[in-house]
Amino acid sequence: MTATATRPAPPTPPARHARRRRFSRQTREMWVLMLPALVPVLLFSVGPLLYGIALAFTDARNTRNHETSFVGLENLGDLLTAEDFWSSFRIGMIWAVSVTGLQFLAALGLALLLNQDLRFRGVARVLAVVPWAMPPVVIGLMWKLVYHPDAGILNSVLGTHVNWLADFSLALPAIIVVGVWTGMPQTTVVLLAGLQNVPRELYEAVEVDGAGRWRKFWNITLPQLKPVIVAITSLDFVWNINQFGLVYVLTQGGPGGQTRLPMLFAYEEAFRYRFAGYASMLGLAMAVVVLAALGLYLWRQMREAK
Amino acid sequence: MRMKSALAAAAIVALAAGCGSGGGDKGGSAAGKPGEPVKLNFLSLAWQKESVAANKQIVDEWNKANPTIQVTYVQGSWDNVNDQLVTQFAGGTAPDVIHNDSPALSGFASDGYLLDLSDKLPAELKSDIPQKSWDTVTFDDGKGKQGVYGVPFLQESQVIIANKKLLDGAGVRIPTPDNPWTWDEFSAAAKKMTKGDAFGVAWPMKSPVNKSLNLALNFGGTFFQTVDGKTTVKVGPEEKEVLQRIHDQLYKDKSADPAALGQGTADPLPAFYAGKFALLPAGVYLRQQVAEQAPKGFEWVTLPPLKGTTTDQGAVSQTLSVAQDSKHPDEALKFISYFLNPTNQAKLAKGDWLLPTSVKAAADPSMTTKENGWDVATASAKNLVVAPFLKVNGFDEWKSKVATPALQEYFANKISIDDVAKKLVDDGNKVLERYQR
Repeated sequence: MTATATRPAPPTPPARHARRRRFSRQTREMWVLMLPALVPVLLFSVGPLLYGIALAFTDARNTRNHETSFVGLENLGDLLTAEDFWSSFRIGMIWAVSVTGLQFLAALGLALLLNQDLRFRGVARVLAVVPWAMPPVVIGLMWKLVYHPDAGILNSVLGTHVNWLADFSLALPAIIVVGVWTGMPQTTVVLLAGLQNVPRELYEAVEVDGAGRWRKFWNITLPQLKPVIVAITSLDFVWNINQFGLVYVLTQGGPGGQTRLPMLFAYEEAFRYRFAGYASMLGLAMAVVVLAALGLYLWRQMREAK
Repeated sequence: MRMKSALAAAAIVALAAGCGSGGGDKGGSAAGKPGEPVKLNFLSLAWQKESVAANKQIVDEWNKANPTIQVTYVQGSWDNVNDQLVTQFAGGTAPDVIHNDSPALSGFASDGYLLDLSDKLPAELKSDIPQKSWDTVTFDDGKGKQGVYGVPFLQESQVIIANKKLLDGAGVRIPTPDNPWTWDEFSAAAKKMTKGDAFGVAWPMKSPVNKSLNLALNFGGTFFQTVDGKTTVKVGPEEKEVLQRIHDQLYKDKSADPAALGQGTADPLPAFYAGKFALLPAGVYLRQQVAEQAPKGFEWVTLPPLKGTTTDQGAVSQTLSVAQDSKHPDEALKFISYFLNPTNQAKLAKGDWLLPTSVKAAADPSMTTKENGWDVATASAKNLVVAPFLKVNGFDEWKSKVATPALQEYFANKISIDDVAKKLVDDGNKVLERYQR
């Protein structure tokens, strides 16, 4: 199609007419071919999404005898003045930023290590990917046992008697550790792939100049990895702020709402207290916040890259 | 063009087939062609081994005796039953017969998801269960009409499970159901039993709300008041009494074991067997774990509920309800009446170590034996009155968002009694307002 567009076209009317017909026929075929793929997307993804957005502007409740009516931005107003929401939002931000940050640092370390010429490198690489193979619910149950106040291995190793997941100040750090552990494999694998794409010649060139390990890392590895880092941290951030299953299994948002991430909050509003409209507005607001944060971050990275 | 329309037609056919099979699921179980047995789904939340066995046994007996009404036992869990029901109700796939507890019914009733049973109850079932138990399942239907939205069958009262050796050693008066301890006597006894590294009492307060609210009725504390149809939270001297007394045991008398504070109800049991404390206030059902797990030679007794100005305790009951959208409500009710006849109630109560609502079942010899404290437990049923919070719309949100954290902080001695009162009232009223628009 690009070829058609750039070709210097003779401006005779009948030819243009013919080309337009061919073009529209192409379009038609494209649509027909895309239809099987498009239907499920429209039906199961775009449809519910639009429905959710529409719900956000109503006072819908999950009840049988409630007449839903349009309320405009009332839900948004309620949301912005609710202390619960802001504390949940704050917890969500602490969670997403610290998990993403720590995940990145730990994964970078691991990836650098696995990129070395170690013995048993193959085995080590496989082991590093193991958490990836586990569903979040299984990870949650496993860590619940680790943190168990009486039978957990953490307390028996440390010789303490702490109820990690029920303590007001320890619960959030405790689940952040689990979050970091869970997300490390993806990040490690992507960074490792990035590391292996750094051209050898660059290292050889600076070695000639007599650069040490640190300089090599700082001046070659990091700038070369930058596009990969930007991509994986933004994906991790989105993934983390929308985390639900793991925390639902570990703490259900407790104790006293100390680990109530925004998605848990929305779930509670919709399925426990049955305010479907309010919960939809919450989901919508979070989507907007994530998109805005991400857009800003990516835009700045792009500008720097230029 | 022909290709396009052919594809579109294929897509529509596929879609229709997809929707058809999705909807067919629901229709299949309820269609009931003539000659085919009616099929009912029964969601049960029984979880203790004996109790699951009792439930399944009763269902099997029913299925054998009633070939035309076949009941399928569906296992649910208390942990997520309400989330599950909200989605099932909204999707129209709820089970016909639903096991739940009375606090949850209030919301589902006013949302219109449950069937009002008041005109349908058979006389035999109705007269076997006292009116005060029926009161725990009588709710507003969301349009101002009162209805009965379940059949109450198991009730829980708060008793005290005591280490017999430490109790006898302290030389205190042993309370009886006719002459129970007052809260003052209880505090004095707990102080006497605090010796060396042993404490008098343990208050596991991981989930403090229901326990505090039910006990608060001892001094007439209701926590909610309704004026002109508007419900608000109230924390006055009556409400503060029990909270303050528990707090005193923890921080003034130092007769309560601080290690138990953050634990769930059953968590302090190992320490109880080890003699680290003497008295454990708990629901009657906890006797089962003590009876089954206590080391050999460990002697324990069940003490009757405490007396404040009254011995009243807030009662909630486990219930069986029928879904509004059930296609066979009459058959469902027939099954419930059989399931909850006096013989079966005694069986279920024994399986769960709770108190039956049926008067006849409570008179069963197995419910009044001295063994494992059944006599004291069954006698405590007379103290049960309808918990005032049962009728409060939005109680669940008040409990998890406001009351649980506030009371946890209070019992951890992080805030004062006036702070907790202020939180419960101010933040609480904000929550309740959402439900009264």
